[in-house]
Amino acid sequence: MANDVVLVVDDEPQIRRVVRNVLASDTTRVIEAATARDAIDLAAAERPALIVLDLGLPDASGADVCREIRAWSQAPIIVLSARHSDQEKVALLDAGADDYVTKPFSPGELQARVRAQLRRARLAPAAGAGQVITIGDLVIDPVKPSVKKADVPVHLTKIEWELLRTLLKHAGRTLTHQQLFRAVWGNSSGDMQQYLRVHVRSLRRKLESDPVRPRMIVTEPGVGYRFENEP
Amino acid sequence: MSERRLAWFEWIGWFGLLALVTAILIAIRPHLNVTYVALAYLLVVQGGSARRGRPLGLALAAVAFLGFDYFFLPPFGTLTIQDPLNWFVLLAFLATSVLSAQLLYRAQAEAADARQRAAEIDRLASLGAETLSTARAEDALVAIASVIRASLSLDSCRLYVADATSHEVRLVAQSGESSEASAIDHTVVERAAHEGRDAAELMDGSSTGDAPIELLARQELAPPRVRAFIRPLQARGRTVGVLRIARAAGLSPSPAEMRVLDALAYYAALGIERARLVAEAERAQLLQEAHRAKDAVLASVSHDLRTPLTTIKGLAHEIAAGGDDRADVIEEEADRLARFVAQMLDLSRITTGAAAPNIQPNEAEDLLGAAAQQATGRLAGRELRITTDAGEALLFGTFDFSETLRAVVNLIDNAVKYSPAGAPIDLSARLDGEWLVFSVADRGPGVPRTERERIFEPFYTKPGARSGSPDVGGAGLGLSIARGIATAQGGGLDVADRPGGGSVFSLRVPAIPSAALDKFSKS
Repeated sequence: MANDVVLVVDDEPQIRRVVRNVLASDTTRVIEAATARDAIDLAAAERPALIVLDLGLPDASGADVCREIRAWSQAPIIVLSARHSDQEKVALLDAGADDYVTKPFSPGELQARVRAQLRRARLAPAAGAGQVITIGDLVIDPVKPSVKKADVPVHLTKIEWELLRTLLKHAGRTLTHQQLFRAVWGNSSGDMQQYLRVHVRSLRRKLESDPVRPRMIVTEPGVGYRFENEP
Repeated sequence: MSERRLAWFEWIGWFGLLALVTAILIAIRPHLNVTYVALAYLLVVQGGSARRGRPLGLALAAVAFLGFDYFFLPPFGTLTIQDPLNWFVLLAFLATSVLSAQLLYRAQAEAADARQRAAEIDRLASLGAETLSTARAEDALVAIASVIRASLSLDSCRLYVADATSHEVRLVAQSGESSEASAIDHTVVERAAHEGRDAAELMDGSSTGDAPIELLARQELAPPRVRAFIRPLQARGRTVGVLRIARAAGLSPSPAEMRVLDALAYYAALGIERARLVAEAERAQLLQEAHRAKDAVLASVSHDLRTPLTTIKGLAHEIAAGGDDRADVIEEEADRLARFVAQMLDLSRITTGAAAPNIQPNEAEDLLGAAAQQATGRLAGRELRITTDAGEALLFGTFDFSETLRAVVNLIDNAVKYSPAGAPIDLSARLDGEWLVFSVADRGPGVPRTERERIFEPFYTKPGARSGSPDVGGAGLGLSIARGIATAQGGGLDVADRPGGGSVFSLRVPAIPSAALDKFSKS
């Protein structure tokens, strides 16, 4: 496995230490920054594979740092903060963050999120290329397009297809309600909230083995939906 | 053309008219009685008086008097009079014309007076408009009170604000001596505010609400009986304040002064209404600032407590990995503390209303799924069974998804805390009239009827709670947070007995009627 560099940005040394101990391994090198300025310089110099960013930096807002880094880097950004309101989460996702973890997090949780983001970033160039996706007994061919569940063809409406395609294209990443609605319907007026929920529900009923306990189309409360291709 | 030259032309015109009338009368003299002559001349004299006032009227009367005698009283062409009766006619004519010129003069003087008073009211009105634009609304009221006092020569003028619901009055502005203050009967003022009717205080100290305006009007002639007059002030159809005017020697306003009072009372009402609106706006702004301060405190407390907990957890995890199982206990306790902090913050956020719920149309199954996902790992080996009675129908409500999810998860935590090991917990959603109801049912000991409200109080712990059970909910905050969340969204949370043993907690939020969802089923 390639040697990954992870950048940890937090003004509190104890938190940097915890994150470093959780993430550092034979294959992962952790570099640290205490300010937004240092973080941007280090990110430019070292080209990390992933960035763990604390929101409460003394010299800049977390969303601004996200935006600045996202302007020239595709490295996944995981945001750490004491508390996120739904609106803050949406704003962070819009600013280019990929995931967020609330303090106090458990080491296992952070590890899992980081691994998921690294894996997604590595697969990113291949995603959307149109190859057949197999998840459990579900086979999705985005090109044909067709969906088979336990070898039985599943009929999807045009909108359901658009929704599924959008989620698949960004698998592993949370898409906000706005982002989904814009991608599928092209605008965000009218009864957006209701339309989106109605179609997510029908898609779950067609694809999930237990639609009330979805494993693929996961709800991110108050924020949006995420497609988990390795449930 | 100048006013002066115009006057000259008019004088010439009126004398021309007099000459013309004389010429016509001479032409038909054989057929005329002196009465017609007198009437014709009188018309000209009165016309002149009405147009240009007393001087022209008297001048026309004098010339007409001479013309009457010279041309129409025999012997014609002389100023002598034969018939003594004609003397009477001539003198009567003279008297009538002079008198009518005088009367017309009086009427015109009164008209001018009225115009002047109208101008005075105009001035007062503009004064009112100016005072209404003063920086402080109360200053405007003081200005209005002193204008009223000066215009009506009062001893004192007071303005009260009346509370819209309780009709309690509070003095906001006064002009004039305060020695009288102790003698003021506040019940009269309050009654006027309450009943919305005028009242009067009499010279003998008694008061009456019986036709005080008529009493005031009568005072101009008779000795005054009213020493204070109280009028409720109305703006936008409701009583906003009370005006009280007083004069120790008795009030005797003229009709003109009463009109001024009416006009100024209206301005006082507007002034009080403005003061009230300004105060309301200031209060709203203060509340908003208080909310902002609370948000800031919550955010900083949240940060200051969670950051060290993160370090403690992280280091305990490292030590546990090194083989010291005491570190597991540290991590568990840190988790417990973290949950408690989260609940304390939730509770203070809800009870202080620091964050308004983000209410959106949301789907019930979506919430059940998210709740099941969050409850994973907190069920202590129990099964969470999920049911909906909707079938293919859509179950929609208007609620804040994250908050409602937090409430439902709290209910699941509570069920875990009180159910026997291995007993499944049932989570369901259904439509009940205008409500979308999420229910969490357990097989615990149930809640005695007397405890049904108390369990929703913060820090309440059921007497039956086993101390050995996993402490999921913290210090008994889960239920009060859940109820706070439900109430903040216009819904509610109640507990009932479950048939076969246990409790059912039902959280209701407003449902979207199925008729409003038909369009979605078609698309």
